[in-house]
Amino acid sequence: MVTAMDSSHSLASERSSIESTYELTKYLEYQLKEIKDVYLTYLGPPFNEKDFSPPAATRLELWHGLENQARLAQNQKAYSVLLAAVRELARSTLCPSLKTSLLHFCTGLDGLLGSISALMTTLGYTLPPSSANMRMRPTMNDFARKVEGFWILRELQSWLWRSAKDFNRLKKRLRAH
Amino acid sequence: MLSFICLLILLVPHALFTSTHVAVIYPQDQVLRIGSTLMATCTLSPELGLHANKLYWTMNGMRLSSSTYDMVSPDTLSVTLHHLNGSQQKSGDNLVCHGADGLVLGGSCLYVGMPPEKPVNLTCWSRNAKDLSCKWSPGGPGETHIRTKYTLKYKLRWYSREKECDTYSSGKQRYSCHIPRNLALFTPYEIWVEATNELGSATSDITTLDILDVVTTDPPANVQVGRVGDLEDQLTVRWASPPELRDILFQAKYQIRYRLEDSTEWKVVDDVGNQTSCRLAGLQPGTVYFVQVRCNPVGIYGSRKAGIWSNWSHPTAASTPTPSERLQSGSCESKPSEHNSTLRRELKQFFGWVRKHAYGCSGMSIKLYDQWRVWLQKSHRTRNQVDSTR
Repeated sequence: MVTAMDSSHSLASERSSIESTYELTKYLEYQLKEIKDVYLTYLGPPFNEKDFSPPAATRLELWHGLENQARLAQNQKAYSVLLAAVRELARSTLCPSLKTSLLHFCTGLDGLLGSISALMTTLGYTLPPSSANMRMRPTMNDFARKVEGFWILRELQSWLWRSAKDFNRLKKRLRAH
Repeated sequence: MLSFICLLILLVPHALFTSTHVAVIYPQDQVLRIGSTLMATCTLSPELGLHANKLYWTMNGMRLSSSTYDMVSPDTLSVTLHHLNGSQQKSGDNLVCHGADGLVLGGSCLYVGMPPEKPVNLTCWSRNAKDLSCKWSPGGPGETHIRTKYTLKYKLRWYSREKECDTYSSGKQRYSCHIPRNLALFTPYEIWVEATNELGSATSDITTLDILDVVTTDPPANVQVGRVGDLEDQLTVRWASPPELRDILFQAKYQIRYRLEDSTEWKVVDDVGNQTSCRLAGLQPGTVYFVQVRCNPVGIYGSRKAGIWSNWSHPTAASTPTPSERLQSGSCESKPSEHNSTLRRELKQFFGWVRKHAYGCSGMSIKLYDQWRVWLQKSHRTRNQVDSTR
């Protein structure tokens, strides 16, 4: 298992790093689907209806407007913001079992952040500076809070789906070397 | 600092750009009693270019009848809800204002419930005379629709400072709390539950107890039921005392119950004392029985008071030996070798008894044999067994 060449050894560890990051992303995607269903039921109809689409949450655009860095840096930043958002969701959830599920999910997300950072270091990228937390907490009524929760989970779902593809692409690129 | 300002500049225009309210719903986050009435309004932003007559309302996804609407102005539609029912979910009912094609323009969360009633059925138990767990039920149905906080409080009866329990369970046992330590023994505690929500509060009746009176344990472990040699009407039950009793503070008394496999009637054996084995007798031969054991801690510092019975152990099954064919007339099937060794053994026992009690074999008859059987039963009875009527 131990190779003589430094480069092939680091390539192998990169590959296994990417592989496990990819697996983690798929796992979180799966976990999120379950939590999302329970959470939307907790919010009550119409949030759990099929084609429900409320006006976009005010802070949604902030995530779209992230700087265009390397894919990994983008992922890193997105998940930092999303992790903070899900933590806030968990904190304000009244249903104890749902709260526990969300907090458990946050642990997974935190792990993903760690994986991405480790991967970036392995590949020689500089880690993005930990940005000032977008601490704009406007006072919101409960309905607006529900809408935000809806969009956070929706956004998280699309990021995980996109990340899985990113990591898969990265995996193939590394294998080609 | 510079990067923070840059970030702020990046963020602010975005926030401004998207914070145009599509519609404003009033009031927000209302807490109301069941049966009350609410009037809400949906006011459109002028940029929308929509007219209020195109709007409609839904409550938890169900469309509200337009007979309850009122067009207050060209850009404001109101709805009046009468006789509100308790909220469908704790996160609040969703009252939503829609535009044409169902577009969601805005919403308001509504919390409908009742002030709490006195919590009831407060029951407490201790696992090891060091902790206390209590459970209760909400006093009324209305309070379960909205977020109601329950606080378990306790104090020593003769001392005024009250304490609060802080470990509430979140799982299946919803209305319960656990006090893990710092509880005094041999002295009464007063315990109660306070319920509060946005509509009011209520306090349960006070329960007074001494920790030592409410001690309970897990059921006895390793319950084993087996035959007593070939005796067809007996089974022996053995078990281990639950680990909590290893504390020298407690002894235990046990209770056994047993029933026929296809019966629902349990027979209870009460005077088992503190042994960990017992022989059941007077049972039907060749029958399957289910047996359970439970225990109760007693004898704390000589106190004769009992605690709370544990749950019954999982049922253990065993069967009594099938009746030997020799005691029946006219049967045919039997394994000859087995038959003979049992017969021989029993004959040996019988002759031994005859020599001792019947002064020799002169009065030999089947009556003597029957007498011996009865004697056998009686002597087993004195060895701590249970008699039962057939």
